[in-house]
Amino acid sequence: MELLHNLAFGFEQALTLQNLLYCALGCTVGTLIGLLPGLGPLSTISLLLPLTYSIPAGGAFIMLAGIYYGAQYGDSVSAITMKIPHASSIVACIDGYQMTLKGKTGLALFTAGISSFIGGTVAIVVLATMAPMLGEVGFLFGPADYCALMLLGFFCVSFVSSGSLLNGLAMAMIGVLLGMIGTDVNSGVARYTMNLAFLQDGVGLISIALGCFGIAEVVKNLDNKNVLTPFNGKIKLMPTWPEFKRILPSALRGSVIGSVLGILPGGGPTIAQFAAYAADKKFSKYKHEIGTGCIEGVAGQAAADEAAARTSFIPLMAIGIPENAVMALMMAAFIVKGIQPGPNMIASHPDLFWGLVASMWIGNCFLVILNVPLVRYWLSVFKIPYVVLFPAILFFCCIGTYSINNSLDDIYTTAVFGLIGYLFLRLDMEAAPLMLGFILGPMLEENFRRAMLLSRGDFNIFVTRPISATLLSVISIVVIWQTTAFFRAARKNRNKPALVAEEVAPAAG
Amino acid sequence: MNSRNFVRGVVIMALALLFGIVALNYKLGTLGRSGAGMFPFMVSCALFVVGLITAVRSFFIERLAVDYDVKNIALVLASLVGFAVISEYLNMILGIVFLVFCSTFAGTSYSVFRNIKISVCLIAIAFAFKNFLGLSLPLY
Repeated sequence: MELLHNLAFGFEQALTLQNLLYCALGCTVGTLIGLLPGLGPLSTISLLLPLTYSIPAGGAFIMLAGIYYGAQYGDSVSAITMKIPHASSIVACIDGYQMTLKGKTGLALFTAGISSFIGGTVAIVVLATMAPMLGEVGFLFGPADYCALMLLGFFCVSFVSSGSLLNGLAMAMIGVLLGMIGTDVNSGVARYTMNLAFLQDGVGLISIALGCFGIAEVVKNLDNKNVLTPFNGKIKLMPTWPEFKRILPSALRGSVIGSVLGILPGGGPTIAQFAAYAADKKFSKYKHEIGTGCIEGVAGQAAADEAAARTSFIPLMAIGIPENAVMALMMAAFIVKGIQPGPNMIASHPDLFWGLVASMWIGNCFLVILNVPLVRYWLSVFKIPYVVLFPAILFFCCIGTYSINNSLDDIYTTAVFGLIGYLFLRLDMEAAPLMLGFILGPMLEENFRRAMLLSRGDFNIFVTRPISATLLSVISIVVIWQTTAFFRAARKNRNKPALVAEEVAPAAG
Repeated sequence: MNSRNFVRGVVIMALALLFGIVALNYKLGTLGRSGAGMFPFMVSCALFVVGLITAVRSFFIERLAVDYDVKNIALVLASLVGFAVISEYLNMILGIVFLVFCSTFAGTSYSVFRNIKISVCLIAIAFAFKNFLGLSLPLY
């Protein structure tokens, strides 16, 4: 009952004309930018973050959330119609693009839209019930437990996003070190500032995000000399009833899988999609058709994608620890607005929390009634040649970094990170763990120093506290599993080098 | 050596050394009462180990070549820096024009007329940002 009351309160917050407008604007702009090649949710959010600066806190979060799922939908649209994969829509490329080849683009887009709606709805119920409950758990966390949770997050994100624990961990640690730049809060010493005044406050998150994701991606596309063939096919949106009936079971399955995987540390849309796709392959009534362009292959993963995107807000809002790079950006946006996500957030800003929950559902409706029918017009973005698009993207990167502090110095920082991001890209180093490390770095240091202070420099504090001991043992299991996998692959490799060469790469990185 | 994994290991180790050695200049303190340098130093050590493992491991797995193109990244960076410099000393409208004309050299084709059109559009967007969204851009 209390839940319904809270949700009603949330809808009251979200259904003001102003907030509805922000929500619609966020969804539309997010979809539009998300469609562009090379711009996934992370870069879309960082590009559009400045738009929200002059908006009051409630509206700003509603718009940001709209941008986030708009970007995700936009991503899957470009994956379905043109097989341009981003991190968040790799799975949509498989069956979705096959459906386009069969001339069923409209059906695929509709399926993706409606499944996202179903996934989002399920996830909101989970979010509304779980977040306050987990918030209670959040109060039990001591400094050592926070450290262990953040470490677990690093391990999981490293593993999920780059497929190789070692690479991802290195990036997370580089991120942590970059987070050290600026004034040390405990002693007031300026660290790694090279005597530059504008580095005293640290490197801007947006500079890193736009450098590593925006600029590096633009240059990568330029290097590839990508010439896009715009999509010109016919789009017939509405499915027939038997087709519609096929969407439902697999979308529901995807929603549940996505909701669960979204909450876990390091979880989030990418892994949820793969899991849902695998589940469809195993349990669907039409499993023999999956991979050849069938409805289930699109529905399940789209629902899981959306559900995981929603439920990944839970750890951020309940415990105050973002579990993936997108959530890290969201956290930065919260802090810019003067709100510290964590166990206290739901109690002290109920209007923001419930308003955001309600607006997520409203955003879903916008996606279905606005974006899905209009998608054929959105697709005309691709008629713009890349040589026109990329100066515009660079311009938005500049405006985005400039308007945070109204400082041109930040553009130089962005340029430096563009170079670093390009280097990382060419060395196959995934930048997502770096973002998470950068956001969590200062928190990790703070909590680590506090834990050490409490235990007088004794590391036992990490094993004697039940929460941190559990989390750390999960980490050690992951490490042991990875090492044995590598050595097993290496041994196999030595026995028959030519055959297994391809297998080793994904297994060990 | 032209191996992506090996270069990666070396880059990681270099970064670890850079951050680690600088960290030693700050006060380390003890674990119980750590100074400003303790935590970065610990992370740098761990990072160095990871880099070392990456470099050593590269000898046991398949080699991948490093491919890169200096021209595009250099052009893009130059246009960003030029945009900032021109905006600081002249104004942002000229900065936008420079950004467009410089960065499009990296594209597949170059057309002055098209660049003028892009610049006009972007300047219009900048005015919209300034007047409707309240961003304070030094446009003129």
